[in-house]
Amino acid sequence: MKNSCSSISKLLEKYFDREVTEKERVLVEGHLQDCLACRNALRSMEELRTLIKVPVEEAVQKEEFPWVWQKIEREIRLQKKLTWWQTLRSWIDVSPLLKRKVWIPAAATLVVLLLISAQIIFQKTPSYPDASVVEYVESQTDNVMVYQLEKPKVTVIWLFEGPEKEQTTL
Amino acid sequence: MNPEENEVISRCQQGDEEALKEIFDKYHKKVYRIAYGVVRHREEALDIVQEVFIKLLHSIKNFKGRSQFYTYLYRMTMNTAIDHARKTGKQFFSSLDEEGSFEPRDELEKGPERLFLQKELEERVKLAMNKLPAEQKAALIFRDVEGLSYQEMAEAMGCSIGTVMSRLHYGRKKMQELLKEYVGLHGQDRDSSDPQGQNLPRSKKD
Repeated sequence: MKNSCSSISKLLEKYFDREVTEKERVLVEGHLQDCLACRNALRSMEELRTLIKVPVEEAVQKEEFPWVWQKIEREIRLQKKLTWWQTLRSWIDVSPLLKRKVWIPAAATLVVLLLISAQIIFQKTPSYPDASVVEYVESQTDNVMVYQLEKPKVTVIWLFEGPEKEQTTL
Repeated sequence: MNPEENEVISRCQQGDEEALKEIFDKYHKKVYRIAYGVVRHREEALDIVQEVFIKLLHSIKNFKGRSQFYTYLYRMTMNTAIDHARKTGKQFFSSLDEEGSFEPRDELEKGPERLFLQKELEERVKLAMNKLPAEQKAALIFRDVEGLSYQEMAEAMGCSIGTVMSRLHYGRKKMQELLKEYVGLHGQDRDSSDPQGQNLPRSKKD
């Protein structure tokens, strides 16, 4: 029994794409022997495939790819640097303190407080460059501290008479 | 997926650039073929290849191995190429003498007239392809350029085999209409070269 073109045409594209079973292949090829229209339809598909495929294959064959990989490597390195920077930026942006830039007056206030504290702490402490304590004597009335200066070879004797009084003798 | 490829993918998922290089060595021509099939322009296709492999390094963590790796890569390539073509929009306005189109030196030896005709034909194919919906274009490239089976295409396109066949059918039909000056000019004389249909495709079991 001869198959009609309409029944075969459903299989023709599958046949062209090599997706038919062995049984279907025999069926289609049997029909193609006698049917010029279906053979032409098949040939049209082949021509279309050639038109689509051949320029692509030619382009692939003529192309050199090693430098493409070099470009990819460069781009990845560049992105890594950007990523590090972007991470930092995003951290800065995420932190509400830094985002609002309140850290500038906060830091300035801290510095001022430190300066004031330092002034209070070191106010009553004598400052002699290159001085070293030689002797320190405590008593009920006076406390004596003897400093030795290295260069001018001067000895400083510091007398503490009480919490409010102090006297320096050179 | 073979164990070797599995191991390479696993290394790449951990950010190993050497593993990415191995994947590039294996697949760059296939990726280029798909990209070139979509944009039909050398420089743009190379840009797409670059973009795909950089994307892959970042997105390969999402590959769970539920499908073949190459279908995952082909799908990514196709999406990137179609997006690229949409963004540039150049394909609708490109002319025959555009700079950057592929023109190897030995092509010039074919003679200016033949070269002109060839370029004109390529341009017509390109314009026709650009008139297809993206899904039909993808189906034609996967099948006619890359030679994927229906099953592989269904995996790469995330659809059923029936949908693949439908997209291929309508894509081919439209292309034949758009390129009727070049396709399907079968007179008696042309058919006489193969009167009994001897040069026919074989079944997939052959």
